[in-house]
Amino acid sequence: MRFLRFLVREFLIHGIVFAVAGTVILSGFYLLSIGAPIESYGETVRSFFLLVSGSEDFSTAHPGFSSGRIIASGAAVTLPLALMALIILTLIALAGSAYAVTGRYLARHHGHTGQERLDGVLSLFTSILAAVPLFVGFWVLANAFGSDAPFPIIAFITVVLGGLSWDATNFLKTDMLSQVETTHAIVFSTLGHGLGRFFPRPGTYSGYLFSSSLPRFIPYLAGKVPAIIGSVTIAEIVFSFPGLGSTLLDALLATNTDLLVASVFILLCVNAVVAFLVKTILFLIYPRWYEKAI
Amino acid sequence: MKKLYNILRIVCLIVLALPLALAWVPSEVFEGLVPVSLVESGYLHSLFLSFRELSITLVATMLFAMLLSVSLGYISVLSIRVGRGFSNVLNAVESIPSILVALFCYAPVSGYLARHSSAASTTMSLIVFVLAATVTTLPEAVRSIDIPLSDLYNRKYSLSFRSYGFTKQRILAVLMNTALMRNTLKRVAAGILLKTLVLDCSFGFIIQLGFGSYGTPAHLSPGALIAAHRDALFEGGEPILFWLPSIMLITISVAFLLMLNDSKEETE
Repeated sequence: MRFLRFLVREFLIHGIVFAVAGTVILSGFYLLSIGAPIESYGETVRSFFLLVSGSEDFSTAHPGFSSGRIIASGAAVTLPLALMALIILTLIALAGSAYAVTGRYLARHHGHTGQERLDGVLSLFTSILAAVPLFVGFWVLANAFGSDAPFPIIAFITVVLGGLSWDATNFLKTDMLSQVETTHAIVFSTLGHGLGRFFPRPGTYSGYLFSSSLPRFIPYLAGKVPAIIGSVTIAEIVFSFPGLGSTLLDALLATNTDLLVASVFILLCVNAVVAFLVKTILFLIYPRWYEKAI
Repeated sequence: MKKLYNILRIVCLIVLALPLALAWVPSEVFEGLVPVSLVESGYLHSLFLSFRELSITLVATMLFAMLLSVSLGYISVLSIRVGRGFSNVLNAVESIPSILVALFCYAPVSGYLARHSSAASTTMSLIVFVLAATVTTLPEAVRSIDIPLSDLYNRKYSLSFRSYGFTKQRILAVLMNTALMRNTLKRVAAGILLKTLVLDCSFGFIIQLGFGSYGTPAHLSPGALIAAHRDALFEGGEPILFWLPSIMLITISVAFLLMLNDSKEETE
């Protein structure tokens, strides 16, 4: 019953209904403000259904963009880049927080301040990286690799520059650091387990603190999905990848309403799919926390 | 020692955010300090103009977004039902990437911007951008205000206010003036500034890349200036044209990040 409720809420309402409603609202707003004739609304709705059904007749007025091509551009470029960025973001946040939290532990309980100091320097360095505009990093990368830049490097730049990893690390670090002085953490530290300085592995001190922070960290990650998708869209435009970002810009350039509506819908769908995956992880690991979060 | 640290911190913040203030000094003052080619090509003038417009955008968005965030945050705690309604709407808005929101806010007015004179077009473009940036920053800003406000309202000393017969509006008004809420508001303002800066420059860059100089927004943005001189990184180009506005943007962002970090520490 609980799983059914989860599926209805996250897949149906937050996934399908939000993507459709978002597309309808944005498209309606667009058509209304450009003063489109009333028949354009009908044509747009028809075109939207043709897209969803994968029909070959999609956007016959503007040949060159089949519904299959738009969906494929989302599946082949936007989705993998977004997922890769999400994974890198998580890894950086985990490593950064493990290092900070074990540094604080060593400084407070053993008087070894070296790691904590180094963490301060690293924090400053990541703050400076976070301040570098994303498009500047992308353009420098494009200058070096052209349109052949590897996806993992683009995903890495996406999260390291522009503040995504800085924010995620700070969030997790603050949450884990707040537990360093708690009784349960002090008791755990006396049991002789490893520290887990560079990664919060299970059974280590940082892993123990991370397990308490995880229920708060997963919803945070789900909330960051639109920011990741937005950054990936910028990457696609800069690197001229045939992804949804470029399609969206093409649609704006050609004032092609059908294409605009289609690319917005697929972009919102990709957004919904990634957010759904993250929430599914939360539901599977911590069903009670999921219930509490909603 | 702490006082010295605070003074140093403030000096550091002022130095980092200086490009926004210096942009208002006539560009002729700096003509002797930069290569002649930058002055003759009109680049220096464009650089000053873009940072001037950026500062207007930042201030206007921060004031407008703060006004809305404080009002919505206050109303959300005052009436839980209304707050839940706001929260649902803002969550829906937050699930749309901000660059998409900005693109859709601009698309409808692109015709107007193309048809009208430069001054009218620039003003309209700024207004549209402020609205778009406010929409994208609002969800997090309202949440950052209503969560601590509601926590304060449910604490013991707030209960004692109630026993004195204070109305909820009055208690919330008193709570809004506490040190915790003042720090929260500072952090929210820094967050709004940072998000607006990122959105303005990214959007300007993308539009310049896609549409060239004919695109909207019609107001100049450092992002658009960087995009217009992106070829400067190629062989034979002048890298300073690309890096000068980029470095200025980085220093301003670092200032906002430091503000954000400081107010976070104060709140904790």
